[in-house]
Amino acid sequence: MLSLSAISKRFGSVSAVVDVSLTCAAGQVHGLLGENGAGKSTLMNILFGLVTPDAGSIALAGKSVRVFSPHQAQRLGIAMVHQHFALVPILSVVDNIILALDDKLGFADRAKWSQRLRQRAASLHWDINPQAVVGTLAIGQQQRVEILKALLGLDQASNMGAVAKILILDEPTAVLTEQEVDELLPAIRRLASDGVAVLYISHKLDEVARVCDVVTVLRRGRVVHHGTANTPPAQLAALMIGAAIEKPQRTASPAPDSAMSPVIIKNLCLCATNGRVELDDINLNIRAGEIVAIAGVEGNGQSALVEVLLGQRVPTSGSVHGVGSPTQLGYIPDDRHRDALVLSLSLRDNLVLKQYRSLPFSWHGWLSLRQWTVAAKRLISAYDVRALNVFVPVVTLSGGNQQKAVIARELSSQPSIIIAVNPTRGLDIAAATSVLKRLIAARDAGAAVLLIHHDLDEIMSITDRLLVMHEGQLTDTNWPASNRAQISQLMLGHVAGAAT
Amino acid sequence: MNSHFQSAVVSISVTVVAVGIAMAFVLVVLAMMGHAPTTVMSMWLEGSAGNGTRFAMSLQAAGPLLFTGLAAAVAFRCGVWNIGGEGQFLLGAMTMVACGTVMIPPGPAWCALPIACLLASAVAASWALLATVAERWRGAPIVLSTILLNFIAVAVVGMLVEGPLHDPNTTAPQTASMVEHLRLPILVDGTKLHLGVMVGMLAAIGLFIIARWTMIGFEVRVVGLNARAAAVVGIPVWSRQVLVMAVSGGLAGLGGAMQVSGVSGMLSGTSVSYGYAGIAVAMLGRLHPLGIIAAALFMGMLSTGARHLEGRLGIPRDMGDVVQGVVVIAVLVGSMLATQRFMRPAQEP
Amino acid sequence: MINESLFIIVVAQAVTAAVPLVLAGVGELTAQRAGILNVGIEGLLLTGCIGGFVAATISGNGMIGVGVAMLAAMALASLFAWATVMMRADQMVTGMAINLLAVGGSGTAWMLAQAHGYAHMPVEAGFTRGIVPWISPETQQWLSSWPIIGPIIFDQYGLTIVVGLFTLAVWWLLRRTRAGIIIQAIGENPDSCAMVGIHVRQWRCGLIMVAGACAGLAGAYLSLMRTHGFSPLMSGGMGFIILALVIFARWQVGGLIAVCLGFGLVDATQSLLQGSGMNQVVPYQLFQALPFIVAFSALLIFRRGQHGPATLGQVWPSTIK
Repeated sequence: MLSLSAISKRFGSVSAVVDVSLTCAAGQVHGLLGENGAGKSTLMNILFGLVTPDAGSIALAGKSVRVFSPHQAQRLGIAMVHQHFALVPILSVVDNIILALDDKLGFADRAKWSQRLRQRAASLHWDINPQAVVGTLAIGQQQRVEILKALLGLDQASNMGAVAKILILDEPTAVLTEQEVDELLPAIRRLASDGVAVLYISHKLDEVARVCDVVTVLRRGRVVHHGTANTPPAQLAALMIGAAIEKPQRTASPAPDSAMSPVIIKNLCLCATNGRVELDDINLNIRAGEIVAIAGVEGNGQSALVEVLLGQRVPTSGSVHGVGSPTQLGYIPDDRHRDALVLSLSLRDNLVLKQYRSLPFSWHGWLSLRQWTVAAKRLISAYDVRALNVFVPVVTLSGGNQQKAVIARELSSQPSIIIAVNPTRGLDIAAATSVLKRLIAARDAGAAVLLIHHDLDEIMSITDRLLVMHEGQLTDTNWPASNRAQISQLMLGHVAGAAT
Repeated sequence: MNSHFQSAVVSISVTVVAVGIAMAFVLVVLAMMGHAPTTVMSMWLEGSAGNGTRFAMSLQAAGPLLFTGLAAAVAFRCGVWNIGGEGQFLLGAMTMVACGTVMIPPGPAWCALPIACLLASAVAASWALLATVAERWRGAPIVLSTILLNFIAVAVVGMLVEGPLHDPNTTAPQTASMVEHLRLPILVDGTKLHLGVMVGMLAAIGLFIIARWTMIGFEVRVVGLNARAAAVVGIPVWSRQVLVMAVSGGLAGLGGAMQVSGVSGMLSGTSVSYGYAGIAVAMLGRLHPLGIIAAALFMGMLSTGARHLEGRLGIPRDMGDVVQGVVVIAVLVGSMLATQRFMRPAQEP
Repeated sequence: MINESLFIIVVAQAVTAAVPLVLAGVGELTAQRAGILNVGIEGLLLTGCIGGFVAATISGNGMIGVGVAMLAAMALASLFAWATVMMRADQMVTGMAINLLAVGGSGTAWMLAQAHGYAHMPVEAGFTRGIVPWISPETQQWLSSWPIIGPIIFDQYGLTIVVGLFTLAVWWLLRRTRAGIIIQAIGENPDSCAMVGIHVRQWRCGLIMVAGACAGLAGAYLSLMRTHGFSPLMSGGMGFIILALVIFARWQVGGLIAVCLGFGLVDATQSLLQGSGMNQVVPYQLFQALPFIVAFSALLIFRRGQHGPATLGQVWPSTIK
C-alpha cells in the first residue's frame, strides 16, 4: 500500500536519512527499529509532510505522491500518533477531535463528533468520554484519544476517496505502563486486521516481536536490515547499535553504610492547594553508598517528591532531613532545558553555574573568569562533552552533549546526595550507558543516589533498592526478590503480589 | 574569546543597520512631504552636533535618557519588565524639588546634594517595588502594574505640584525654584550640560563592571535567562528580582533628580516621557551599559536635531518619536534574524 | 424619583464610557486567547483617534473617518504582526515600540493638520447620538423617550448597538464554533495546531489585524463621537486599562462586558462627582488617577495562580528549525 523509495535527507552537514526504501502492505504491522538519531523520526516526518526530502519518492497504492504538509498527509490517508501527544490539554476530547478533523470554521457540531468518536472507540473495545477535558485524563487514556483521532482521520480520508489507510505510531509505549501496553498491542493487531497498514516505530525489541509482522532496522540513516519479526532479538539489537555495547552490570553496592543516611524522609505528606493529596505518608531513608530507585507511572507524585526534596514546596506535614543547600546536592532534572541549563549562556558559564560562589571561581564577590575557563576545559574532557570550545552557547550543543554537561556540573563536585530524574531520556544507548555508569561510580564513591526513572530495564540494571510510587504512596518491592510482573502490578496500584 | 567577539560584532552591526533602516524610513516619509533627504540630514547633524554648544545640548538631552535607559536595561536583563521608568523618573524629580524647596534647610552642597539624590532614588525605588510586591502577593503582572503606576504617579506629582509644592508667586502649575546649593554644577558655559550626565556615564560604566565581573551581575543575568534553573542551582531568585527592581527604580529616580537639579530647577505639570523613551534607549543599546551610552547620545541628538528641524524646516519634532519606534522594531527584528543565523540550535534529526 | 433618574443617567453614561473599552477589549481578548499580548493597543487606539479625526475633518464625512481610523490602526497592527509573528520579535517590547510610533505619528499628523488648517472638525463630520446613523430625528427621539432602556440603550452613539452585536458574535464564535476552538488551541498549544494543519501564523496575524481594527474603531469613537476633536495623547492610557480589564475578566467575553460596565460606572460616578462641586474639596488629579487606581486594584483582586493562555506573550515557534 505504501512504498518509500530511495529517500534521502541532509540537515546541514549531517545525513539524517540516506537512500531508504521500504514498503508496507495493508493489514501489516511494520516495525521500524533504530536508536535515537538513527533517522526513524526524520523518515516519518518526511512521510507525514513535516520535512521535505532531498531525494526519493513516496508512492501510495502504486501512485506517486508528494506530501508537503501534515494536513495533506491526512487527506491522503496517512495518520500519525506522535510520541509527544498533539492534544490540547484545556480542551475536551471532542473539541480536540473537531480541531484536528473538521474542515469548517463555523458551528462545531459536538454531538455528531461525539457520536462518531464513541462508535470508533467501541470498535476497539474502548470506553471514552467525549466531554472529558484532555488534561485531566491519564496518559494511557490520552493516547487512546490520539489513536482514535488518527483513525477518525483515516475514515474521513477514505470517505473522501483516499486509497491508503496508514497509521504511524511513534514510540507508542514510551509513556505507558506494562498493563497499558498489554492492552494497546492487541488493539493494534485488531486495526491491522481491519486493513490498516501500521508503521510501528520503537526501540523496544520485545514489543516489536509481539506486534509486528515485518521489521526494518535503521542505523545512521541507512536500512541495515529488513526481515520478518521473528529475527532473534539479540541479532536485531546488534544491528541497531552496530557494535555490541557493554551494558552496565548491576553490582551490589560495596557497603551501604546503614549508620549514615544522608536523606531521611519521615511521614511526609503534601496536599495541593485544591486539597488533592499528592504525597501520602512517605517514609524513606537513603543511605550513603546506595542507589534507591523509584519507579511508577508518571504523574503519581514523583515530581512533587522532588520538589519537596529540593525545598521548592513546603510539605503539609512530616519532615525531610539531609537535603540542604543546592551545592551539596547533585540534581539531574527531567527537563534540562527548563531546570538545569541557561541555553544562551556559554558552555563554560553553565558548567560552573553551581560552584561560582566558591574559591577559586570567585573572590569576595568578584569573578575569576580565567579559573572558569580552566575548570570548564577540564570538565568537558573528563565527561566527554563534545563542543567546538567552552565559549559556545549551550543551545548549539546536541541533546546528548547538553545532558553530559549537566551531569559534569552536577557530579563533578562530588555531592553527597544525588537526585536524578529520567537521566537518560532522549539519549541514545551509548550515551545512556555512560550516564548510568556515572551514577554507579558516584554511588561507589559514597553518594546517596535517588533515581526516579521511567525505564524499568535501566532501573533494574543499576539499582540497589526499588520502590514504586502510586498515587502519592511509596511501596517497597523487596527487589531483587520480586519480579517484573509484580512490580508492574504495584505501579498500577494492585497491592497483591510482592508487598511489604 | 572568539565567540564573545563575534557576538559583539554581530550585535553592533545589527544595531547600526537597524538605525540606518529607521533613518531611511523617516527620510523617505519626509521626502514624500517635500523635504530633500540631504537637506534634512545636514540640518539634523548641524542642529545636533554642529558646534560645541549644540553637541553639549545633545549630551544634556542624553542625560535623562541615559538614566531611564539604564533603569530599563537593568530590569530587562533580569527578566523584570519594569515599564514604570516614567513614573519613577517623575517621583525622583519631585522628591528633588521638594528637597530643594521645602524639605532640606540650606546647607553645604557637598553634603546636601548626595542626601537629596539618595532620597529621590529611595522614593522612586519604593514606588517601583510596589509593583514587585503586587506581583509577589497577588500575581499581578509587572508589565501592567508598572504602566498603571506611571499614570498614578503623574497624578500624584501633579497634585503635589499644584498643592504643597506650588509656587505661591504664580498661578501656573509649577513649583518654586530650588535653592542654589541643590543645583548641579554646569560643565559647559552657555549650556545646561550638567554634572548629572557625567554621573550617568559613570553609572553605566559601573553597571558594566558589575554585570561582567561580579557574582551579583552574573546571578542577575542567569535569573533573567532562566529563572527556574537559577533557583535549582541555588540563586535566590526573588531577592535578586527585588534588588534589580530597586536599582532600576532608583536609577530612574536619580535621573529625574539630576534632570531637575541640573536643568530646570523646578517642576511643572507637564509629562516628559523620558521613561518610555528609556525603553527604546535600552533596546537600541542592546541592554548593554556601554551600548546604552551610545544609544542615549543618539537619542539625545535625535531630539535636539528634531527641535532644530522643527524650527528651520517646520518638520514636527514628533518625527523623533517615530524614529525611536521604528528603530526599536528594526533592532528587535534584526537581532532575531541574527540569532537565527548565528545561534542555531544543534540539529537533531 | 430624582435618585432613580440620576441612577439612569449614571448607567447611561457608564454604557457610553464602556463602549470603546468593550470594543477594543474584545479584540485584545480574542488575540490574547490565541497567545498574542499586544501592549501596543494604546498606540492603536491613539492611531484610531488621529486617523478618524484627520480623515473626517478633511473629507467632512464621518463614515470615511471611521473607515480610515480602522485602516490606520490595522496598518500599525500589521507592523506588530509582522515583527512578532513572522519575525519572532518580543511581543512586549514591540508593543511598546508601537506605542512610541503611534505617539510620534499622531503628534506629527496633528501638527501638520493644524498647520494646514484642519485643527477643527466640521460639525457634520462628527456623529450625534442615534442608534443608527440614518434614523430620523423623530424616531430617535421617540426611542430615547422609552423608560429606562431609552437613555441606556437607544440614546447612545450608533456604535453601541454594533459593539453589542459584535461582542455577542465573538462570544458565540469562541464557545460554539470550530474557529473558537482553533483560537484557544493556538494560544494553548500552537505546536499541535501546526501538526493538524492549522496555519498558526496566519491565524495570529489575522487576529492581530482584527484586534487592530477594533482598537481603531474604538479610537474613532473617542475622537468622532465622544469629543468631536483631537488632542495629543487623547487615548490617555485607556489601552493599558483595557489590558488590566482583560486579565481581570479572566479572558472571558461575558466577564469582560461586566468588568467594562463596572468600570464605566466608576467613570460615570467620577464625572458626576467632579461636576457636583467635589473638585473643590478633592484635587482633580485624583479623579484623573481614579481609573488607573481602579485598574491597579483590579490586578490585585485577580487571584494568584490563575493563568491565562499558556503561550501568552511567547514567541512561536520557540526554536528555529
